[in-house]
Amino acid sequence: MKSFLKYTFLFALFAGVFYVFALLVWGIVMPEKIKSNLNYRIGSYGHMYTRLKEVNQYKDLDILFLGSSHAYRGFDTRIFQKEGLKTFNLGSSSQSPVQTKILLERHVNQLRPKLVVIDVSPLILSGDGVEAALDLIANGPVDKYCFEMALELGHPKVYNTLVFGMLSSFFSLHKNYTEPLQKGDDNYIQGGYVERRLDYYHPVQLPVKTIELNQELVNSLIDCLQLLSEKQIPVWLVYTPIAPSNFRRYIGNHLFDKQMGRLGMYDNFNNILSLNDSLYFYDADHLNQNGVELFNKRMIEVMKEHKLLEAN
Amino acid sequence: MREAGNIRWKRIWFWLSIVINLGFLGVFKYYNFFAESLAESLSYIGFHIDLLTLNIILPVGISFYTFHGLSYVIDVYKERIEPERNFVDYAVFVSFFPLLVAGPIERAQHLLPQIKRTRIFNSEQAVDGMRQILWGLFKKIVIADNCATFANEIFNHSDAYSGSTLVLGTLFFAFQIYGDFSGYSDIALGTARLLGIELLRNFAFPYFSRDIAEFWRRWHISLSTWFRDYLYIPLGGSRGGIWMKVRNTFVIFLVSGFWHGANWTFIVWGALHALYYMPLLVSGNNRNNLATVAQGKLFPDVKEFGQMVLTFGLTCLAWIFFRAENVGHAWSYISEIFSQSIIEIPRFPGMKKALTTIMLVTFFMAVEWHGREHQFAIQRSFSQKNRIVRWSFYAFIVFLIGMFMPTEETPFIYFQF
Repeated sequence: MKSFLKYTFLFALFAGVFYVFALLVWGIVMPEKIKSNLNYRIGSYGHMYTRLKEVNQYKDLDILFLGSSHAYRGFDTRIFQKEGLKTFNLGSSSQSPVQTKILLERHVNQLRPKLVVIDVSPLILSGDGVEAALDLIANGPVDKYCFEMALELGHPKVYNTLVFGMLSSFFSLHKNYTEPLQKGDDNYIQGGYVERRLDYYHPVQLPVKTIELNQELVNSLIDCLQLLSEKQIPVWLVYTPIAPSNFRRYIGNHLFDKQMGRLGMYDNFNNILSLNDSLYFYDADHLNQNGVELFNKRMIEVMKEHKLLEAN
Repeated sequence: MREAGNIRWKRIWFWLSIVINLGFLGVFKYYNFFAESLAESLSYIGFHIDLLTLNIILPVGISFYTFHGLSYVIDVYKERIEPERNFVDYAVFVSFFPLLVAGPIERAQHLLPQIKRTRIFNSEQAVDGMRQILWGLFKKIVIADNCATFANEIFNHSDAYSGSTLVLGTLFFAFQIYGDFSGYSDIALGTARLLGIELLRNFAFPYFSRDIAEFWRRWHISLSTWFRDYLYIPLGGSRGGIWMKVRNTFVIFLVSGFWHGANWTFIVWGALHALYYMPLLVSGNNRNNLATVAQGKLFPDVKEFGQMVLTFGLTCLAWIFFRAENVGHAWSYISEIFSQSIIEIPRFPGMKKALTTIMLVTFFMAVEWHGREHQFAIQRSFSQKNRIVRWSFYAFIVFLIGMFMPTEETPFIYFQF
């Protein structure tokens, strides 16, 4: 028995070392197609790499924006700047509250925002938070928060990518990487916003979808609110407009509004603004630049009505 | 039963036990099937009856532990074993955790003595158990669950796909069910080995069979032998004439199909296998291939290869019924395969990802082929090499599990039985 336990332990150690080594080789050598559970994409969709580099230069913000692509493609920092507001957009691809929490923990003390705006939507809150976790690991530092996030999500892809991320930092595999500001139709704007070349959505019939929120993600959102409440930073939960044909397909919008309203200050701009599918969106989920301008101006008005920035 | 004063009471106790055992199975698993089938049959002749159907959850693994119980009762009745007087030992026999939900279907004469004897830890046996668990995990997580993604997509939307894509869907399902069920069996056998208990072997590389008779000596062995010992032989086995053999063979294949579930698809699946078996039985060739294929050789010869391909093809054809929603679905699926669209290039969402799964299945079958003369494929892999080489191979399998485990959990197919 003793010898069995000894060799089991030694094999576990050996397999661990082998795994890490194999992951490194696999990650470097193999084509993307056969990296099933390893998704380390530096400079991927959404300019997170540049955003995380840039955020370190900011402090004492009026508003910090967080959330998914609805956030980084929906809150144009230039429009807020015109109103004299200093803002930064820390949105990232499919960012769920699990990642929002990490970003807050990492940056809120440095940024000291007067208001935090978090984009919330059924799409993100019913997901699994994995895509955004991979984005965050590949494009930012691998720190204790990433470990906590990996444990929270418990997903093989996140674990593998995290280990590869550590190895990548250790061996400085991507030290010379610079992300282009213009990628395809996307243009990164200083302050974290991504402007897309003006395009228009051609609506298609979308299947009906019942809103079923992932309670783990809702709990993470509550943690974010708790963290900000402890720091006495007001939070505004915002449901960014999506194409009306897309919005209408969700069953349970009313209940979603109610649930978010119970968590704190919340506005669903799909109900506040009446935007046309084809004129103000470039796809079912995202506003085009014309839509962003209308939305952000209305946001500023609502913010004033709520006296959100006057409290601090 | 053993304490019964006379043969009459012995029989009464015996049949009472059988009725109770089968009664649970009948109510939970087959009541709705019979009620619905009866109502449907009567509706054809103008009687419309509304029979009560039960909206109850089927207890996991009920077919397995019912058969454990039955084998015990029959063996005690036939005086092959002594009745177990220690309730705990009997309870462990019926509900031994590794085999509780999906077998192998154990026999009292095989398992009870192992439970009763004092076990001494055997390091070699435990290491072997660990190896078998590892291979079982690989089969289930990497092979079965990845194949399931594509098999489900193709079977669930079979109307939309060409015959060639449906063939691919069938192959994915063939490897899914093999990886899933034999993977579970490996995990169960390996876990039991860690505890010093040897369970009955359930799979012996069935896809390398050269005929259907060999396939059934290698697939779900514990069920096939159960039916042989407790149904086929009591029915007369092969003692009578050819018609007796044919009848008995049909009976066990149909019952075997029905054992899987209360659905006509399983019954057709069983019947199809019985039909495949008939030519071998009638010509007396059903025990031709008893040894492992290409024993001691690296590759099979052309004849053996052809036989394996043919047997695998027939098995796959039957799997279509096993997997289809209903018999109509299976027919339309097969019709599309035998249409002109068979020559089209297969296309379905995730086709590129499927190539990775095909590579994994190729690796899997290569390892299985290499280890086909052993209890399980990796039992003796690199056993002649030094520890580092051997451990590297096992660690590589661990790595493949970590790299290719699908993100969505797929329950074991046989849990539903």
